[in-house]
Amino acid sequence: MRSLATWARLKSPWVLHFNSGACNGCDIEIVALLTPRYDVERFGIKLEPSPRHADVLLTSGAVTRQCAERLKRIYDQMPEPKFVVAIGACACSGGVFKGNYTILGGVDKVIPVNAYIPGCPPKPEAIIDGVVKLLNSLQQPKSEGKQ
Amino acid sequence: MTQVNEASLISTLLDRIGGLGCIQPNYLGKATIQVNADSIRKIIEILLKSDNTAVIVAITGLDLLEKLGLMYHLRTHGSIVTVRTEVPKDNPRISTITDLIPGANFHEREVADLLGVVFQGHPNLARLVLPDDWPKNLYPLRKDADLQEVTAKLDSCLCSTQPEIEQKQAQKETGLVNIVVGPQHPALLEPEKFSLTVDGETVKVVEPRIGYVHRGIEKASEQRTYLQDIYLVERICGICNSCHAVAFAGAVEKILKTEVPTRAKYIRTIILELNRLHSHLLVLGHAGLEIGYETLFQYMWRDREPIMDLTELLTGNRVVSSSMTVGGVRRDLKEADVPKIKTQLDILKKKLVFYQSLFQNETSLKMRTQKVGFLSTEDALKLCVVGPVPRASGVNTDVRKDEPYEAYGEIPFRTVTRTEGDTYARLMVRLDELNESINIIEYALDNMPTGPFRVRVPRIVTAGEAINRVEAPRGELFHYVKSNGTAYPERVKVRTPTFANLPAFLKTAIGESIADIPANFVSLDPCFSCTDR
Repeated sequence: MRSLATWARLKSPWVLHFNSGACNGCDIEIVALLTPRYDVERFGIKLEPSPRHADVLLTSGAVTRQCAERLKRIYDQMPEPKFVVAIGACACSGGVFKGNYTILGGVDKVIPVNAYIPGCPPKPEAIIDGVVKLLNSLQQPKSEGKQ
Repeated sequence: MTQVNEASLISTLLDRIGGLGCIQPNYLGKATIQVNADSIRKIIEILLKSDNTAVIVAITGLDLLEKLGLMYHLRTHGSIVTVRTEVPKDNPRISTITDLIPGANFHEREVADLLGVVFQGHPNLARLVLPDDWPKNLYPLRKDADLQEVTAKLDSCLCSTQPEIEQKQAQKETGLVNIVVGPQHPALLEPEKFSLTVDGETVKVVEPRIGYVHRGIEKASEQRTYLQDIYLVERICGICNSCHAVAFAGAVEKILKTEVPTRAKYIRTIILELNRLHSHLLVLGHAGLEIGYETLFQYMWRDREPIMDLTELLTGNRVVSSSMTVGGVRRDLKEADVPKIKTQLDILKKKLVFYQSLFQNETSLKMRTQKVGFLSTEDALKLCVVGPVPRASGVNTDVRKDEPYEAYGEIPFRTVTRTEGDTYARLMVRLDELNESINIIEYALDNMPTGPFRVRVPRIVTAGEAINRVEAPRGELFHYVKSNGTAYPERVKVRTPTFANLPAFLKTAIGESIADIPANFVSLDPCFSCTDR
C-alpha cells in the first residue's frame, strides 16, 4: 500500500503554490511552468489550489511577518507526507530583503524545507529540475532531499 | 492632455494662490509651493478647481528630524505640481483632503501608517501596510525609530494564533454574508485579503487588507548605496522591474544633472516596451483564466515566452533584467541581435491580428466582460487612477506623451483610449497597446543612434531631491529620491500604479454580481508586491 502511494506521488505530485512575500518574479515563473512551453502537466504535476490535497508546497518569497503565520498554517493543513520546495533566493535565505524590518528571511525559519532552488528568479528549467530531484529522492527514503 | 507652457502655468498658479504660499518654479515637477499646514486644504482646493483633470499622484512623507515633511504631488496639465508643508513631530496633525478628492484616501493612510501623521477628518485611518501585530507608535520611516527590537523578535510572531473568522452573529440579523477571500486563495496569485459583504449574489462592501507582501523596501533603500538600490527597487515587482529601475535611475540622474547618452535612452526604451509586452500578455491571459477561458490563458502565455527570450537576449535575464544603471545601461545592444528581435516581433504581430478578432467576435468573452465593472470618467479622475484603467474610461493620460522620458519624445506612437469604461474596454486598451509597443520597438531599432551606452557618474550623489515618473505597464509609476550628499539616499518614495488603482476596484465592485468580481479585479491588473513594497 505504501509503495502504491509512493508510486502515485511520484507519477502525479499535486503542488500548492504560496507566495510568502515575493516580488512576483518567482510566482510568474511557477505559473509559466503550466503553460505550453514547459507544460509540467505532462509529468502529472498539477497545481492544486487547496492545501488539504497537496503533496508539495512550492514557496516563494522572503516570508514577511504578516505571512509567516499563514505559511505555517498552510503547512499544517497539508496531509503527511509533505514536502516543501523553497523557490528563489528570497525563499532560500531572504535574498536582497534580508535584514528588513518585516522580513524573517527564508522559508526554513518557519517550516522545514526539503529542496532549495536558488536564483532571482530561477529559470523554469531550474524549478522543474528541483522538483524532479525532490521526487527522485523519494525513491530512496533514506537519503535527504536536499540538492 | 495638452502641454501648457511653463510661464503661463506658473503665473496662473501665482494668481490663484496669492499670498498663501511661496512658489519655486521647476522644482519637483513644474513647481513647488511651500505652504503652512493650516492652508493645505485651501491650496489643494484651488489647484483642483483650476484644472478639472487634476489628480493626486502621491503623498510623500519624510522625516526632517525636528519636523515631519509632507509633499502632495498633484498632476495638473500633464505635469506635476508639488505642495509642500511641515507638521511638528510631537504633534503631527493635519486636516485630511480625502473629502476634496477621494483618491487621496489610501495615500493618507499609508503616510499615517509609516510616519504616524494623523489626518484629521479622514474616514478610516486603519492600518494599511504594516503587520497586524506591529507595535503601536512605532513608525518605521522615522529616522529615530528603533527597529532592532522588533527585528530581533521576528521569530516570536509565530506563537500567536489570531482568530480570523469573526463577525458571524451580526450577519444573521441583517441577512448579509461576509466572505473572506485570501490570504491564500485559488483566485489570487498573491497573498492579500479581501472581505466581501454580499447580499445574495450582490456585493455590498469590499474591505481590503493589504500589506502581506510589505517588505520595507523604502526603509531598506536608505541603508544601501545608490547602485545597490537599483537592484533593490527592481525587486519591488518582478513583472515591471525595468520600470522601477529606470524610474529610480532617472531620479538620481536628475539630482546629478547627468545626461544619459542617446543610445542608452533607446536601449532603455526597448527594454521598457518589452516589459510592457510581456506584462500585457500576462494579464490578458490571466483575464482569460478568470472568466473560465483557459485556452486564451494558455495561448497568451505561449506567445509571451518569445518576449521573455528577447528580454534574455538583450539583458541576460528572463525576468528581472538588472540591465539599468545610473548613467545608462549595463549592456550594449548587439547588431547581430536586431534581426532576431524583429523576426519575433513580426510573429507576435501576426498573432495579435488573431487575438483582435477573437476579442471582437467571441461572444462568451464579451458577455463576461462587457458592462462589468463600469468606471465613469468622473470617477476615474476622482479616484486618481492611472494607466490603462483611466484610458479605458476616456481619460487621455500617458506619461510617455505628457512628459516624455528616455526616447519617447522622438518616437511616434498613439495613446490608446476607449470610452466604455468597463472590463472589456480595459482589456482592449491593453490589447491595442501591444501593437503600439511593437511599433515603438521597431522604430527604436531602426533609428538606434551610435555612441556610448553609459557614462561614468560619481558614487556620491550631491545633495538634492528629484521626482521621476515612468509609464509602467500598469500605469504611472512615481519615484521620489532625496539625497543628502552621502553615498546613501536619505529618502526613497515609490508610488506604484496598483496602489493608485486599488480604489477603482473598491468602487466598481459594489453592486456587481460576485461571479464578476474576478474578471473585474484582474482587468485592473493588480500587483500587490508593488502595492505593499
